[in-house]
Amino acid sequence: MSAGGPVIAGAALPADATLAERLLHAVNRAAVGVSMVALVAAAVVLTYSVASRYLFKASTDWQDETAVFLLVGVTFLCAPWVQQQRGHIGIEAIVAILPPRVNHARRIVVDFLCLLFCGFFAWKSWKLLHEAWVDGQTTSSTWAAPLWIPYGLMTLGMALLTLQIALQLAPHRGRLVR
Amino acid sequence: MSVAALGFAFAVATLAVMFLGMPIAFALGSVATVFMALFMPAASLDTIAQNVYEEMASITLLSIPLFILKGAAIGRSNAGRDLYLAMHAWMQRIPGGLGIANVVTCALFAAMAGSSPATCSAIGSAGIPEMRRRGYSPGFASGIIAAGGTLGILLPPSITMILYAVAAEVSLGRLFLAGLGPGLLLVVLFSLYAMWKYRREVADARRAFDANGTTHAFLDAHTYTARERFEMLPRVLPFVVLLIGVMGALYGGYATPSETAGLGGVLALLLIASVYGVWRGRDLAPILQATIRESTMLMFIIGMSLLFSYVMSYLHISQSAAQAIVEMQLSRWPLLAAILLLVVVLGFFLPPVSIILMTAPILLPPLRAAGFDLIWFGILMTIVMEMGLIHPPVGLNIFVIRNIAPDIPLADIIWGVLPFVVLMMVAVLVICVFPGIALWLPAATMN
Repeated sequence: MSAGGPVIAGAALPADATLAERLLHAVNRAAVGVSMVALVAAAVVLTYSVASRYLFKASTDWQDETAVFLLVGVTFLCAPWVQQQRGHIGIEAIVAILPPRVNHARRIVVDFLCLLFCGFFAWKSWKLLHEAWVDGQTTSSTWAAPLWIPYGLMTLGMALLTLQIALQLAPHRGRLVR
Repeated sequence: MSVAALGFAFAVATLAVMFLGMPIAFALGSVATVFMALFMPAASLDTIAQNVYEEMASITLLSIPLFILKGAAIGRSNAGRDLYLAMHAWMQRIPGGLGIANVVTCALFAAMAGSSPATCSAIGSAGIPEMRRRGYSPGFASGIIAAGGTLGILLPPSITMILYAVAAEVSLGRLFLAGLGPGLLLVVLFSLYAMWKYRREVADARRAFDANGTTHAFLDAHTYTARERFEMLPRVLPFVVLLIGVMGALYGGYATPSETAGLGGVLALLLIASVYGVWRGRDLAPILQATIRESTMLMFIIGMSLLFSYVMSYLHISQSAAQAIVEMQLSRWPLLAAILLLVVVLGFFLPPVSIILMTAPILLPPLRAAGFDLIWFGILMTIVMEMGLIHPPVGLNIFVIRNIAPDIPLADIIWGVLPFVVLMMVAVLVICVFPGIALWLPAATMN
């Protein structure tokens, strides 16, 4: 770990990474940086909620929703970074017994299915976001927070996740699936 | 297509993509989406994103990342080692005290950190070398740590229990309290076994010494002075206070479970900053990133599992499966045994999170119909899933121990762990015979 500032862990970029890979790598690092702050912020908001209710008998309608938005943001924005490290766990029982060539083909099929699903999900999130924006939808609480915020974070995260899987799948210069 | 055929197709499709090695979250999501497209009204496909969001955007579920944050903060500091040393110093006079100290430290640490693998690695990396140095056999030492680590999902606040409370629609506060008695029961069983096994190993060592003069680490004892023992306390007490304080806030009615999670996260960060000087960005970054990595992975599985259950329930698969189980007319106990067996088998392949969310809609209605208390069942299910953490083929904790002590052969670890699996089965039986072990505390405090 280097001495200057926080270091964002993750799969190292190969020397021959494409421009798209470099860009997404940078975006992922930025997303994790923001998410680290958001995570702590969510904890602080909920702590404040306890304190303010106990000390000032204040009502706490905005804290829960703020924490939800922050944590939904963390979850979706960091999904591509987790995918980059292949951190979404699956059942690997079969992998050990497959011959390497078959296993290679299996990975391509799996990545392709993930790509389809995440792409579809991203598209539906986008439609949801668009609707929430046009209709000015809000949450049902008294605080009435606009729903385009969490939907936007979800859409952005899923779109980047789709891109991440596409890049991991993209055959270029003989490296198929890393 | 009949519901039975649909359910069969659904199960086969799920198993196929899962065993293909597709990440669990995406596998569940894809199967749900495809079945929506094929068998549900066209408009339902438009709601998948909204569906996942609405299930996930529950503040109870989103307390999970914060509990993970608390665990990561404590797990990555030296708190585990210090807690361990203090327990060791204080329990050393009891025969087998070192083993017991390890069990108790695991339990305490697990309650603070809420994660079995984190507990195994934090306590095991100090505990296993120490036990081996003092003559414990490698298998015995690994067994204690692997089993002690599993207490993490039984003692509050446990992520597994949060999910169970959501899936079974039972009170989280009650469920947490119900875990305490059985947790204590397991600590006692593990400790008694540790004492017995220690005596046997010492007797063997003494016999070897008498026979051919082979000396053994058991035979030269080291004792701590009272002063040494008291010097260990200041670093450990804050964490014990954190543990009690956070739970006090929850049960005293000052904080909701999610606020408890936030409070726990903030206090854990403050503690490691003040006790261990962990506050700089570069010290905190690994803790926060480990938290994000684990919680993102988990939240995706949770969100997609909920979509999966929604489709299963819309297509009446869960209801028909539940109905079919009820119609088998099994009497109470065979029904329970069959269900627990199913959980054990699923535990071979799936993490507890997915087991709970995928099976709850099918398994809980028959259990309720048979008159079982769902909080009590939640505890049994948790213990059975804990067993899955330490028995092959998956046995996550076994692999954590492989990482800490690579020189212990896998076979030794597995043989060392098996007696603890048996003890957990004993605990399940005891709790079946005396349900009060789980249910007494919530009934006494929350009515």
